[in-house]
Amino acid sequence: MKRRTIAVLLALVTLFGVGSLGGGKVRLVFSNWHLVEPHWEKSLKEAIAQFMVENPDIEVVLDYVSYAEKETKYMTAIEAGVGPDVMHLGPAEVSFGLFASRGYFYDLTPFIAAEGPGFLDAWYPATVEALTYKGRIYGLGANYQAMVLMYNKRLFVEAGLDPDKPPTTWDEFLAYAKKLTRDRDGDGRIDTWGFGTVGRVDPGFQLRFTPVLFSHGGDYLTPDYKCSVLNSAAGKEAFRFFVELFTVHGVIPPGVTDMSPGKVREQFAAEKVAMILTSAWGPPIIKSIRPDVAWDQILGMAPVPVKAGTDPKIRTTAFLSYYAINRNTKHAAEAWRLLKFVTSKAMQEKWFRDANVLSARRDVSEEYGPLLADPYAKLIGAELARAKLVPLIPEWPQIIEAVNVAVQKGFIGEDLSKAWAEAYRRINDVLAVYRAKGEACPPY
Amino acid sequence: MKGPRSEGTAKVIKNERQGYWFVLPCFILLVAVLGFPMVMAVLNSFTPIWTKGLSGFTLAYYQRLFHDDVFWNSITRTIYFVGATVGLHLLLGLAVALALNTAIRGRRFFRVMAILPWTVPDVIAGLVWAWMFDPLSGILNDVLLRLGLIASPVEWLANPALVMPSVILADAWRGYPFVMLVLLAGLQAIPKDLYEAAKVDGASAIQEFFHVTLPNLKGMIAIATILDIIWQARRFGLIWVMTEGGPARQTEILSVLAYRQYFKFFNFEYASAMSVALALVLLIIGLPYVRTVARKV
Repeated sequence: MKRRTIAVLLALVTLFGVGSLGGGKVRLVFSNWHLVEPHWEKSLKEAIAQFMVENPDIEVVLDYVSYAEKETKYMTAIEAGVGPDVMHLGPAEVSFGLFASRGYFYDLTPFIAAEGPGFLDAWYPATVEALTYKGRIYGLGANYQAMVLMYNKRLFVEAGLDPDKPPTTWDEFLAYAKKLTRDRDGDGRIDTWGFGTVGRVDPGFQLRFTPVLFSHGGDYLTPDYKCSVLNSAAGKEAFRFFVELFTVHGVIPPGVTDMSPGKVREQFAAEKVAMILTSAWGPPIIKSIRPDVAWDQILGMAPVPVKAGTDPKIRTTAFLSYYAINRNTKHAAEAWRLLKFVTSKAMQEKWFRDANVLSARRDVSEEYGPLLADPYAKLIGAELARAKLVPLIPEWPQIIEAVNVAVQKGFIGEDLSKAWAEAYRRINDVLAVYRAKGEACPPY
Repeated sequence: MKGPRSEGTAKVIKNERQGYWFVLPCFILLVAVLGFPMVMAVLNSFTPIWTKGLSGFTLAYYQRLFHDDVFWNSITRTIYFVGATVGLHLLLGLAVALALNTAIRGRRFFRVMAILPWTVPDVIAGLVWAWMFDPLSGILNDVLLRLGLIASPVEWLANPALVMPSVILADAWRGYPFVMLVLLAGLQAIPKDLYEAAKVDGASAIQEFFHVTLPNLKGMIAIATILDIIWQARRFGLIWVMTEGGPARQTEILSVLAYRQYFKFFNFEYASAMSVALALVLLIIGLPYVRTVARKV
């Protein structure tokens, strides 16, 4: 009996020992928030399966993470000395500056150099520059798409507007929004509004406010990041215009300060709002919320309006996501192979086919046939030439929070000048790290 | 020479020492899960220990607190939130405890129903109440509109005058059962002959409440209040999912601000200073309770 017990124990130990050897494969953990979205999950699993066939020495384990808490999860894991080997992060401004400044990423520069000259030529230069910190490259761009105006043609027709003539100026936009704000069901209460937007303190706020700011000719910071430029006439005008859409003109539904991007899309899908600012991800999500509606005949897209009488070179912003390698990885070379694979031309084309996202690679967004044949994608790709990324500096989350709170204060009826001035002051306090001792910013 | 009495004492001492061994695993767990993070947070509030180690102590982060109007806003918001929720927990908890202390039919069923809100995680409670408060699709506005009590949707979570009361209402619903349970236990410990004596003296129900019930419940009310203040000051999940501290910092209590500073802005040291400041205040508030428990032990 005793001998039998020892034999069984030895067999178990051997089994576990052999199991742990892994057959000599390198194990990589690949983390991507898109895995929690069914259409993305299928596409990513197919891609990873293909990668493992092409790289039989690597085993990839998928790590699911929520979009909202991925930065928190990665930061905690990396500080603890662990974390996934390859991570997908975005929007870039939320994480890149913070993570790169704290040394969370593996330096990709030597890998890129080893690929030979011209490797980075495939990517939009703005994305390469954005993902460079102190002269070193820490990420490769993945999704890159401009923010545009999406509108409901059916509601346009009902309000007596031409569905093929979307607004091109902010004055037109306001006039349209007023007409679109109406009582559709005849019960005496307004149930459809002209415009839906994000008012909650949320990363999505930046993507909706920045186009308004840029298209008015405004900006956030000086090029050297020493001071805010929200005190410009254009900045003040953009802020006032955005807030008064709600407080004066009533073309935004109630509860705007509680609106997240998901809630705004639900409002659009429910035809509670006629226009929103979005990008390539918008139509598939709208269709998934209400698959019974023939959205292909209803949705329209157009460039972001501009101030009347102007044609600014920059009139919108862009969403940029990127892949990076964890500094704690024990298999940097293999992680680089995986990162290169998911950002390759073939895979970026696949992401468009499966998930309707545009790429940070110019040889995809400017050359891929099916993308150029899609009218929405073509427009969004073309608008990248009129788009500018916000500063990807470590202080950015604090800067945009100050702006977000100022807009909320405007929405809840506080004094606009005071709210905007406070944002200006707070941002300049945060930017003190870029100024020499004694150097001051202009008064508001 | 050892007698029977000294042998008995030695046995007691030996049993006590054995008791420490049984407590040791729990103690190690507490040190690891609570003690270590607490010590690191305190150290982090004086020096960037995570990035630069013990490279030099500074009071700069605490000095920054004094000049930060956002921090002081969070202090006033915290006092407002804690004061209101603890007050409502006491009122509701006492009312329900008094009701459940009577000999009514189905008392056990009502006791279970009364505890149910407490079993809901605060994040779930926050999500449910956020949906109920939604201005366009929430049930609250729908009912009020149908009854003709309001002419247009009310922005419960977007109106600065209403957002904190809305959050307080949600938390009052979720948190009162704990206070109710503590007070119910206290009510059941009050000797019945005190009430009989009061009846004999001709006391009314209200007089019984103020002269018998409340004086005997004083200790339990104090314990429930102190514990509730400590828990409410640390409330995070419900507020985060309902408002994330908005709009415009109207519901940004200190726990929400510290979370944002730490996990969104990566200001580890500043967030730690905030947390230590809050912990010190709660420690002072909790001292009477700690002294009471220590005395019993």
